Amino acid sequence: MGSQSDSPPDSVVEKPQNPVSQVTQAAVDDHQNAKAEAAKESSPPSVFVNSEPIREDQVQNAVKFLSHPKVRGSPVIYRRSFLERKGLTKEEIDEAFRRVPDPTPSVTASESVVPNQDGQLKSSSNIQSQSPTQTLRPGPVSPAGSISKMGTFSRFHWSHALLAVGFLAVSGAGTAVLFKNSIIPRLKAWVRKVVLEEEEGEEVLLKENNSKTSLAEEAAAAAKAAAAAASDVARTSQEMLMSKTEEKRCFEELINMLNAQVREMKSMSNAIQKLEGQSNIHGRIPVEGDDYRISQRSLRVPYANGKINDYPQSGISLSLPVFVKPSVAPHPKSYTEIMPMIQRGEKPSNITEINYAPPNPNQPVPNPRLVPMAKPWEVGQARNSSSNVLQSQGSNDALYHEFQDNQSIAENTVPRWERRNARITEIEAVDEHRFGSSNVVSNGRPVPRSWVPPQPPPVAMQEAAAAIRQPKKTFSSSEQLTDNQLLARSSDVPDELQSITRISESGGIVEANGGSLGLNSSEIQREEDNSYFET
Amino acid sequence: MPVFKTPFNGYSVKFSPFYESQLAVATSQNFGILGNGRVHVLQLNPTITEITSFDTADGVYDLCWSESHDSLLIAAVADGSLKIYDLSLPPTSNPIRSLHEHAREAHGVDFNTVRKDSFLSASWDDTVKLWTVDRPTSVRTFKEHGYCVYSAAWNPRHADIFASASGDFTARIWDVREPGSTMILPAHEFEILSCDWNKYDDCIIATASVDKSIKVWDVRNYRVPVAVLNGHGYAVRKVKFSPHRMSVIASCSYDMTVCLWDYMVEDALIGRYDHHTEFAVGVDMSVLVDGLLASTGWDELVYVWQHGMDPRAP
Repeated sequence: MGSQSDSPPDSVVEKPQNPVSQVTQAAVDDHQNAKAEAAKESSPPSVFVNSEPIREDQVQNAVKFLSHPKVRGSPVIYRRSFLERKGLTKEEIDEAFRRVPDPTPSVTASESVVPNQDGQLKSSSNIQSQSPTQTLRPGPVSPAGSISKMGTFSRFHWSHALLAVGFLAVSGAGTAVLFKNSIIPRLKAWVRKVVLEEEEGEEVLLKENNSKTSLAEEAAAAAKAAAAAASDVARTSQEMLMSKTEEKRCFEELINMLNAQVREMKSMSNAIQKLEGQSNIHGRIPVEGDDYRISQRSLRVPYANGKINDYPQSGISLSLPVFVKPSVAPHPKSYTEIMPMIQRGEKPSNITEINYAPPNPNQPVPNPRLVPMAKPWEVGQARNSSSNVLQSQGSNDALYHEFQDNQSIAENTVPRWERRNARITEIEAVDEHRFGSSNVVSNGRPVPRSWVPPQPPPVAMQEAAAAIRQPKKTFSSSEQLTDNQLLARSSDVPDELQSITRISESGGIVEANGGSLGLNSSEIQREEDNSYFET
Repeated sequence: MPVFKTPFNGYSVKFSPFYESQLAVATSQNFGILGNGRVHVLQLNPTITEITSFDTADGVYDLCWSESHDSLLIAAVADGSLKIYDLSLPPTSNPIRSLHEHAREAHGVDFNTVRKDSFLSASWDDTVKLWTVDRPTSVRTFKEHGYCVYSAAWNPRHADIFASASGDFTARIWDVREPGSTMILPAHEFEILSCDWNKYDDCIIATASVDKSIKVWDVRNYRVPVAVLNGHGYAVRKVKFSPHRMSVIASCSYDMTVCLWDYMVEDALIGRYDHHTEFAVGVDMSVLVDGLLASTGWDELVYVWQHGMDPRAP
């Protein structure tokens, strides 16, 4: 960008223009050019970088999270997003990802369990293998106990998140395998106990069904038990909610989670169904992120929004944030009319087809007419004075006065050398415009600034350009001239030259040298400069 | 106080950084769901009148003025494109550029106030893109958020630093010289709709969220917010630090109010304006006139008023 390819025909500008173009490029382009600037700007370590050391406990939590089979199946971005929301830093997340082994269906710790259900049950700890037992055994294993077994979780929600995921995964076929191995007798006992409590015929049936399984019918039994267990759990949980025995209370917490999951899944499917009737092709939904949004985005099934979720206050129930979030604002009446219409696929009648492509995409960006002013916060204590200056459109007078204000005030706060830079920049920028270069004027230079100098306008008016050529007239026709040129003029010419030369010798803004020479030399020598002023 | 009626639902207002009586408004038909859009450029003196307007095929969600060119305006359009308009050219020559790279709606634009050469676009395609006016393609794409990015804001003192607010519940701080984000602020438990930097303290950033709160953070100690501003009744749509007062924040919300806060004070709410009759979606504070506020909303009205006065007063 901004390569000044049309060099001035004049010999006044002798220095090469590369440093300038590099400086301008550094502003936007890739890192290499910006390194000098970056180094200068961030030579104290940048405060915008996270400097916390890696917290080992957070990393371990994340590793456990990532090791979970259900999590393994989710896209990486959702896992990352979840961990970010939990407050982990990038380094911690990266470390956790590094530590978690690659997702292959290899069984690590719980080999004993998984002939055919490898993908579901692999885990680096026994936690998940124990959790199905917890779901079905209210008495001996309390939820608190199971949570404590989950390892060194420092926060409540981690265990719940994992519990929830564990339950989901396990209530699948994995339960069956465990049944087969060690749980069936216990299950029988539990079922009997439940039956005694409930005196429900279905329980007896279930028990009988379960008691019929035998090791000899492993495959068939596992399938049946899985189905029975799943339905059993659902049914049992419902029944338990109705009666309020003590054992169910111990149980209820766990079951509630399952229920919540079921509700969640139901509500998701509801939302999807709702959306199928409602969804509009553009899916442009108001941003407060209510139900519409989630359904519109349902294809993504984001973890970020959904399943593995924040720990609510109760610590147990999980749900999509969309459904528990703060109340959705009531929409305007016509909105509630238009929205369903659009979701049905009807187009509102007030839309017109507009072709608003740029008629001339290669049209050069015109030069700015005004100098960007210093912002109130950049001028420091002078902000009050600068901010109230009135200006009408294109009134250079007012602009000049304000600029003068800024200048004089800034002089109190800004070191002299920076001011010099400022003026040089202006002149340099003026030259850029003269050379018909890109109009993106950059202030990028290798010195950190506390005061951003305004940028000079290009020569937009030929009368001004002409006025410059006649030095005597410049002050009388000052209205025509833009302020910076005036300032440049008003400053000491030899001073300017000296300082500019100094800067250029130090490898600074070289073009300024030529430019200012050009500017100043217009007083002294003539004609050749005519070409400068063509923009 | 002046009021202007737009034909479409208002989405964003921005004061011009060059002309204190110039204001641009982004509007979208049918609440921005489906339909056209229009960019209005308004003159505030003596009364609000329209200087010019540009019609778009899709809703305009946000716009920003160029900091280097007094006549350039950049609009973020719901079809994912950014359109650059030049007010010095006749409407038939406009827009002068169309930058279409986002795969989904472009929801926010912000122009660099330090180097004044580049601008950012935040999109629902989860990315933030960096552009300059002279390039037809983006300079950088920042893809890290897990959900829609609603807003991006340049740091007022550091030319390479910016922040983004996203529906993935995080705000991120980026450095254009770095490949990825440099900080992740898990700022809210719900979608973050807007963020803005403190103009007078470059380490302070405010985030506004669906959870009805505005949180003010210090990036040097970002685990705990400096302040939590509660008071809005619904999601806070936009937050803006005052260009003139160090700790003053303006915000607008779906509760139809525009509020002014001073986060350093115990009782932070210092002003509340309920002039809108629908969601207040856009708010801006003038850089050139201390205390001048503008707001727009889905009630198709644009108000401009001085802090302390009633926006609806004639």
